[in-house]
Amino acid sequence: MWLWFAKLGSPKWFYELSSKWLPWLVVATVLVIGTATVWALLFLPPDYQQGYTSRILVVHVAVAGTSLAFFPLMAVAGTITLVWKMKLADMVAKNAAALGAWFSFITLATGSIWGSVSWGTWWEWSDSRLVSMLFQFFLLLGVVSLRSALEDSDKAAKACALLSIVGCINVVIIKYSVEWWNTLHQPASPVSLQTGSANGPEFWIATALMILGVYLFLSVSLILSTRNEILQRERRALWVQELVAAER
Amino acid sequence: MLSASVKPSTRSAFMLTLKRDLLIAFKRKNDIVNPFMFFVIVISLFPLAISPEGEKLAEIAAGVIWIAVLLSAMLSMDSLYRGDFEDGSLEILLLSPHPLFFLVLAKNIAHWLVSGFPVVIASPLLAYMLKLPSESYGTLMLTLLIGTPTLSLIGSIAVALTVGLGSRGLILAVITLPFSVPVLIFGTLAVQASASGLPAGGYLTLLLALLAGSLSLAPLTSAAALRISVS
Repeated sequence: MWLWFAKLGSPKWFYELSSKWLPWLVVATVLVIGTATVWALLFLPPDYQQGYTSRILVVHVAVAGTSLAFFPLMAVAGTITLVWKMKLADMVAKNAAALGAWFSFITLATGSIWGSVSWGTWWEWSDSRLVSMLFQFFLLLGVVSLRSALEDSDKAAKACALLSIVGCINVVIIKYSVEWWNTLHQPASPVSLQTGSANGPEFWIATALMILGVYLFLSVSLILSTRNEILQRERRALWVQELVAAER
Repeated sequence: MLSASVKPSTRSAFMLTLKRDLLIAFKRKNDIVNPFMFFVIVISLFPLAISPEGEKLAEIAAGVIWIAVLLSAMLSMDSLYRGDFEDGSLEILLLSPHPLFFLVLAKNIAHWLVSGFPVVIASPLLAYMLKLPSESYGTLMLTLLIGTPTLSLIGSIAVALTVGLGSRGLILAVITLPFSVPVLIFGTLAVQASASGLPAGGYLTLLLALLAGSLSLAPLTSAAALRISVS
């Protein structure tokens, strides 16, 4: 039973497996994001209040939801690093931090663009969700800079793992911020089955599809950057040298 | 200081660490005085830069004091484990048979007594300089009394993570400041509430909750971080 778990720790095994999966994942990502984008931008009916600006929410909600997954992901990977010292977990955690910062940034950017039309403001300091998301962005940048500051890669791995576990507190704050401090940002809308309602199926199915697409995109980018990391860190391993020799 | 044959209890180890750190702090006064001077100077810059008018100053007083506290805490935190790391006594601390939780807590308390506590004592004077309404002096002191130890405990984690680095002033701030935001928010909200005649009890209890949480969890995390850094 533990065999697959032990295998998971082997960068070589991961590299070979991901080579097989990657093309399929890329195709799926392109298909799902493509469908969701076309649907959201061309066919989604305008909201009765917001008009066509509501379409950007499909991207915003999907990216924002996904960006909350980074700290838990890094915390799980970090725990694996701290407990089992698995090399692969740290490679994933390292790339997740930078990727997460980008996701948070896109969340803030799309939210601001939408807000500038619907709320009449690009930024509102009194809103807890905006501010807590901004601080998630800062925290992720903090993890990235801690990683680059520590030269010993083993120490950096453990230190970042610990920081990621502590950073999970902020995810809870972001998630519940709209319910604890009710200001500008609305809480999650309940899905409705009635077509033509404010949050009817045509809207949330597009959003759900986009969420799936963004998660696929996240996996693809994470796998690609992890493969890169594997080649870099295992450059002295025989199998990597053989691989590079075969490429030449 | 201790003969090898006597194995002290955890309580006496806690007290000894506390005493030792206080002694070191008083021998190296610069580490205490400079962050405190920084705190006072930063605060006195605001009336010069923004406006000497009483009304405007009163409005921003709570925020200015709290931000100055945060910034000077960043400076003073730097010396929390550095000396011990450089002379190797941190390794002795890690090797001790006592739970590291209590030793880290003792170091944090000693550090707060020399860095956070003077700020609490000096705050009414600075509040007066910033024209804060006098009825909120009490609330300000209470928020600082609860908030500064929380900041020290949170900051201790980041200091422990970066203790081996040569120059780490900035990375310390980048990691610690985002985590300190809840303390800043509730601290300033409490003072603003009391300045406008509203009850501040709710914010104070939230601050107490943050203190209780960080008192029980932060030394554990700092201990784990120290074990990572010194290995």
